[in-house]
Amino acid sequence: MLVFAASDKGGTGRSVTSANVAFRRALAGDDVAYVDFDFGSPTAAAVFDVPEAMGGVESGGLHTYLRGKAAEPVRVDVWAETEHEVLRDRPTGAGNLVLLPGDRSGGEFAVGKDVLRRCTDLFLRLNSEFDIVVVDLSAGRSFAMDMALEVTSLPELRGVGSRWLVYHRWTRQHVIAASGLVFGSRGILAGGVARGHDEEDLANRIRFVRAAVPDPEAAPWAMVPPAQSAWMRKCDQDLNELAAQRNVGYTRMLGSIPLEPVLQWREQLITDEDVLSSRVANMETLQALKDLAQALDDDEAWGPA
Amino acid sequence: MTAWGRAADPVLICGEVRTGLLQHSESLPARAVADLLRLRPDERVRISERPNGYAVSPEVLTGVDCRLPAAGGARTRVVGTVAARAVVTEGRMLQATASIVVAGPGPDVRHPWSHYLARPGVVEPLGKLPERAVADGLLAGRARPGELDLGAVAERLLARVARHRALDQRAPFKSRRTRLRWVALRALDGEGPSLDSFTLAEDGLRTVELRLPARVSPAAAAALCEDLALHDWLLTTLVRMVERSRLGSADAPEAVLSLRPAVDHLLHLWMPTAHVDRTLAPLWDVLEREPGFTRQWQTLVQRIRDQLALQAITLRRDALTAH
Ligand SMILES: Nc1ncnc2c1ncn2[C@@H]1O[C@H](COP(=O)(O)OP(=O)(O)O)[C@@H](O)[C@H]1O
Ligand SMILES: [Mg+2]
Repeated sequence: MLVFAASDKGGTGRSVTSANVAFRRALAGDDVAYVDFDFGSPTAAAVFDVPEAMGGVESGGLHTYLRGKAAEPVRVDVWAETEHEVLRDRPTGAGNLVLLPGDRSGGEFAVGKDVLRRCTDLFLRLNSEFDIVVVDLSAGRSFAMDMALEVTSLPELRGVGSRWLVYHRWTRQHVIAASGLVFGSRGILAGGVARGHDEEDLANRIRFVRAAVPDPEAAPWAMVPPAQSAWMRKCDQDLNELAAQRNVGYTRMLGSIPLEPVLQWREQLITDEDVLSSRVANMETLQALKDLAQALDDDEAWGPA
Repeated sequence: MTAWGRAADPVLICGEVRTGLLQHSESLPARAVADLLRLRPDERVRISERPNGYAVSPEVLTGVDCRLPAAGGARTRVVGTVAARAVVTEGRMLQATASIVVAGPGPDVRHPWSHYLARPGVVEPLGKLPERAVADGLLAGRARPGELDLGAVAERLLARVARHRALDQRAPFKSRRTRLRWVALRALDGEGPSLDSFTLAEDGLRTVELRLPARVSPAAAAALCEDLALHDWLLTTLVRMVERSRLGSADAPEAVLSLRPAVDHLLHLWMPTAHVDRTLAPLWDVLEREPGFTRQWQTLVQRIRDQLALQAITLRRDALTAH
C-alpha cells in the first residue's frame, strides 16, 4: 500500500510522525519503505539517525533516478546504517525498513512525461516489495504532490492501494489550512479530479492526522491556574467545532498525536525504551503512534466519512 | 562463422539477469503473456508449453559507446549494441536479461553505425581487449559513470514489461527481485562447458563465471543464466518466507497460513534445466553438489508439507472433540 503524507504548512510534524509510523510498522513485522519526496526540507535521515544520508545523499538519490540518470534510486537499510544505539540491533520479527533519500542538491523540479513514467515504475516496484510505502511529500501543493496525484490516477496503478494522510497542528490556522489543502479550489480533491480520480473515491482515501496536540486535561496543562485551564478547554472545544465545520472533524481523523516533549526538543523516533526504560517520552505518545500505524490498513477507519 | 560469433572473433559474452514475481493476482494465461512480451511488432514471441509454460520476447537493442569496467583500471572503449530480452515462466515469473558478445581486438577508429547495427548484440573494442581484466571488472561491483551498465538496461526492460496494463499489480505476496551477473570466457579448444564459480556478492548480487565452447550461442548462455537466476530466486524467496513465518514457533496455524501463497504459487515452479540447451544442462550438476540447490529446496518443501499435514490433523481432532 502507498501512503502519502501531506500537509499544507511546513513544521506540522508530518515527517517526524510519518517516520515514527514507518518504524512502528517495521517493528510489527511489515516490510516498510520510506520515500523522501519532501524535497524542500528532507528530515527523514535525521529522524532515522542515518548520518550519511543527512539532508539527502550526495548523488544517486530520488532526483538522480527521476531525471533518468540512474536505473534505480539509492536505498538505505535503516537497521544496518543507523547510528541510533537502540535501533542498531534489529529486533527479532521486525521487517525491513528502507529509506529512499533525495539528492542533497536536489530541490523541486517540473514534472514531464518521462519523470511520471519513472515515478510509476518506482511506485510499482516498491509496492511489489514492501507492505507499506510511506511517501513524504513537501508542504503545500508541491510538485511532488501533483506527481503523486497524477501517477495514482494512471490505469497502471489501479490495483495498487493508496491512502493519504493530511497532517496539521491543533490551531485555528492549521485546521483551516488543512481543510483548504484537501477541499479548496486548488486542493488535493480538485487536483485529483482534474487528473481523472473519482472525487468520492479519493475523498474516502484521505484522512487527517493531528500532530503535537496539547491535552488540557493532562500534565503540564492540568497544573495551570483554573482561569487558564478553563480558557484552554474552551479553545479546544472551539477548535473541535471549527474542525467539524471544515470537514476536518472526528469522522475524517485517523489519529491524534499528543504534544510530546521529546519531539518538541528533537526530531527522532520514539522507541519503547524511551517510554519504558529511560522514561523520557510519554506512554500516550507511544500509544498514539502505535494506533496510527495500525489504522493505516484498518478498513473500518477508512471509507465514507 | 561460429554461433558466438555474429562477431568476427568473439572472446567473451556477459550479461545481467533481473528476476522477480510477475505482479498479478494469478498466473497469467499464455495469451496475455504473449501480449506482455510483444516488445517489437516485427518479431514473434517464442512460446513453449512443455515441460512448463515458457515465453521469450524478441530482442530489443540499445546502442552503446562506452568503457568496459576492467580490474586494474585498464580502459577499453567499446561500440556496438546491447541485446535485451524478457522471459516469463509459468505465467508467474518475470526475468529480463541484457547481454553482449564482446568481439576480439578491433580497429583503432570507430566504424560507421551501420557496421554495428549489422551485428546485433555485439560490441567491438577500439584496440586491444584485456579479457581477464574485463571479466573481473564486469563481475565486480557497480558500474561507474561512463561504463557499460548491463544491469541498468535489464532494469529498464523489466520496468517496461512490469508496467504493462494486463498486470493487476495484486501479487499474492511481497517479494524482492534478485540480480545475477554472468561472464563467459571461451573454453579452450576441445573442452566442454564449465561453471567456474557461483557467488553471492555484496547487495544480494549473484555472480556466475562460465567457460563456453564457441558453438554455444549467446541466447543459450542467457537461457542457462536465467534458469540459474530463476531457481536461485525461488530458493531465496522460499527461505525468506519460511523464516518470516516463524514455522515451528508457538503460533503454528498462523505460520502455516502465511505460507499458503508459497504452496499455491511457487512450489510447482522448481524445474531446473527445463529450457536449457542440452549441452549446458550438466553445468547444473555443479550447483547440485555445492551448494546443493535442489536438496535445500526439497528440504524446505518437505518441512512446509509436514507442517501443513500436522495442522490438518490438529484441526480434524479439534473438530471431532468439539462434537
Ligand atoms: N507530537 C509532537 N510533539 C511535539 N513536537 C513535535 C511533534 N511532532 C513533531 N514535532 C516537532 O515539530 C517539528 C516539525 O516537525 P516535522 O516532522 O519536521 O514537520 P513537517 O515535516 O511537517 O515540516 C519538529 O521539530 C518535530 O520534532
Ligand atoms: Mg518535513
